[in-house]
Amino acid sequence: MTSITVMGDFYLSQILGKPIFDIHGKTVGYVRDLVTLWNGHSPQVTGIKFNKESKLLIPSERIEKWDAKGMYLNCEFSPSITVLLQDHEIYISKWLLDKQIIDLKGSRLVRVNDITLSWVSRGSEKLILLVAVDIGFRGLMRRMGLEFLVRKIENRFLGWQYINPLEDRNSSLYLNREKKQLSQLHPADIADILEELDYHKRADLMGRLSSDQAVEALREMELDTQVELINQMDAHRASDILEEMPPDDAADILAELPEEKSRGLLGLMEADEAQDVKELMEYREDTAGSLMTTEFVELPVSITADEAILRLREFARTAETIYYLFVTDEHSILKGVLSLRELLLADPSTCLGDFMNAHVVSVHDYEHPATVAERINKYGLLALPVVDERQRMLGIITVDDVLEELMSERERSSLFSLFKVRRHSERRV
Amino acid sequence: MEAIKGLKSRVLLILSVMGPGIITAFADNDAGGIATYASAGAKYGYKMMFIMLVSTVCLAIAQEISARTGAVTGRGLSDLIREQYGVKWTFFAMAVLLVANLGTTASEFSGIATSFEILGISKYISVPIGAFIVWWLVLKTDYEKVEKVFLLLCITFFSYIISGFIVHPSWGEVFHQSLTPSFSGEPDFILMAVGVIGTTITPWGQFYVQASVVDKGITAKEFSITRWDVLIGSFFTGLIAFFIIVATAATLYKNHISIETAKDAAISLQPLAGNYASLLFAGGLLGASVLAAFILPLSSAYAVCEAFGFERGISKSYKEAPVFYGLYSALIFLGSTLVLWPDLSLYHVMLISQVVNGILLPPILIFMVLIASNGNLMGNFTNSKSYNLIAWLFTVILIVLTVFLLLSSLFPDSIQRLLGS
Repeated sequence: MTSITVMGDFYLSQILGKPIFDIHGKTVGYVRDLVTLWNGHSPQVTGIKFNKESKLLIPSERIEKWDAKGMYLNCEFSPSITVLLQDHEIYISKWLLDKQIIDLKGSRLVRVNDITLSWVSRGSEKLILLVAVDIGFRGLMRRMGLEFLVRKIENRFLGWQYINPLEDRNSSLYLNREKKQLSQLHPADIADILEELDYHKRADLMGRLSSDQAVEALREMELDTQVELINQMDAHRASDILEEMPPDDAADILAELPEEKSRGLLGLMEADEAQDVKELMEYREDTAGSLMTTEFVELPVSITADEAILRLREFARTAETIYYLFVTDEHSILKGVLSLRELLLADPSTCLGDFMNAHVVSVHDYEHPATVAERINKYGLLALPVVDERQRMLGIITVDDVLEELMSERERSSLFSLFKVRRHSERRV
Repeated sequence: MEAIKGLKSRVLLILSVMGPGIITAFADNDAGGIATYASAGAKYGYKMMFIMLVSTVCLAIAQEISARTGAVTGRGLSDLIREQYGVKWTFFAMAVLLVANLGTTASEFSGIATSFEILGISKYISVPIGAFIVWWLVLKTDYEKVEKVFLLLCITFFSYIISGFIVHPSWGEVFHQSLTPSFSGEPDFILMAVGVIGTTITPWGQFYVQASVVDKGITAKEFSITRWDVLIGSFFTGLIAFFIIVATAATLYKNHISIETAKDAAISLQPLAGNYASLLFAGGLLGASVLAAFILPLSSAYAVCEAFGFERGISKSYKEAPVFYGLYSALIFLGSTLVLWPDLSLYHVMLISQVVNGILLPPILIFMVLIASNGNLMGNFTNSKSYNLIAWLFTVILIVLTVFLLLSSLFPDSIQRLLGS
């Protein structure tokens, strides 16, 4: 491995638009854009676009040097030296400069103000590498020719490893490295990024997320955005994602969609899941029923503690909480409640009915959310069971569901809110 | 049953998409708008009607272009200018927008001052308090609710429509003059013409309608409804402007009363409200001014931050979005301080700011039309040739008028001779 010597750094903004001279000093064109290889290694500049109208490129080996006046070639210019864009090559001005990219280090959306390039030599070879993008205020001022005013401000660079371009690219160009990095972002950050993107890029990015990630990110969003996203998504993918979501969240989204669309999506979902969601959708907005989820741990009163632990393993994946275990009879009538601790500490052969707490605090599905909050608060609960008139268990409401309902926090408000048909926002934190 | 359900979901869809165009239209008839239309009617009778009607048609076109661009690209105008034309052009566009909006913000505070002066309260009290309240409401509370109250106050301006009927203008003359182009090389006339255009179509209105379409999540699919929204909105702007001119022309112009202060403009409501005319006028003016005093600084700060990639939006805290709130506060501070200048005619601030808007409009129009004609961005929704022709024609006319305005204030005689008037 030959060592790399850096001969100089410069900014894309300093070179764009400068004239290109051939060996005789004749102007052959202007620097319109640079092309780099985007394949997961240090992006190397491979060519220069020199004419607005033409797709031809001058390969980077032909560059002798450049200075403030322009770029000098080491040969005579003729069309025969030009090349065309290859696979895995991208235009950096067109794709990066002034565009929004995902800053994988800061997990947010940023705008590229400038691009730093490095002129290095490796043995006899001279290379131009794309080192970083400039996302700071100083880069902005540099573009306007006012950098001298802000010399005291530090440059803010973001190494090429940490950027994820969002412009439409051939999917083959989408690197595994980028996919992996994307998968390491926190769903809440992905949600924020998605909310800021326009709907085309949103759909692109959604398409690149795994189903799990998409569901998690979606759960972090405002209901408005959830509805928008599901509405714009391909129906099959949308129904897959809705299936994976907790039924109460799915019901909230489907209730906001146009009737036809929502019926279509329910039709595509698995029958069981669809049934749960449909039932939840029946509840009015200001009832306990509208807040509950149907994914809770339900254990028959007649089984032993040992059997119960085995069953718990099956439930644990999907249930909203596993700390409260609800004991019911064969008609699903709520008989008692256990905490996870009580179950673990109980003698393995005792029947649940013998050690459960038979006095369960519950709420009826038609009651007001305020009642739910009151009870959760009064008894210091993490979750409250919801039952019908005959004490049949319908679902549970967890403390975080009801918190959002009642906290008078500053809502995501909008500048452009007038006459907006406001949707009931239910942000899961 | 199915049919009813279909209808219901159709109605819901329409309701969820409607808004941006109509709101922009309402906020468009702000303090400066009322002042300009009233002056135009009082000074030139129905002669300004033709220019007003042509600008309303152009307003519909301009708003349609912006709304369509927003729906198709899902992005705001400043975002697109930045991506398509780079930092320098963006800086230019933002400077234009900020200057225009600073002027308009000052005119909104003049409106606030005027409505309180009618009630006998000095501007030195009403403006600082008004500015503080506007600033504080946005920073500390849920301004969405407050906003609706002021919007309701704006409905007062429908009283101009009633007033316009009560004064019994000779409708034949109104329509005849409305459809007859009239022009004069007099500096005052050109000034008024640019003002009328500048108050009907505003730089901020274009940014606002596009951002609002994007914010609502309207996509190309729903755009057919948004087009109606924009057309209905423009119709209302024109309708109210029409009746303000009719009401003022039939009362003030006929009796040779020129408007020196906004109180004179209220006289045209006397046939309707008698002694309460001033009160009615003050209420409407206050609503329109405060509503726009919220929207203008907010949407300007939003556009600038969008272009340069700063955190923005009123759901962010001051710490998260310092540039956004900094710009917002600066616009309110500067706008209201300008108005406090001693011996300043509040009425002239409202008028002049609209002329400034008119002068600064062409650059924004050029960006808009170029972007909407870009097939890569707009796909099947690219501007058609005939549409572009109208848009360019209008832009050129506006530039020519601006040049005339400059020349006519520098060399008044030669321009009048040139135009043979």
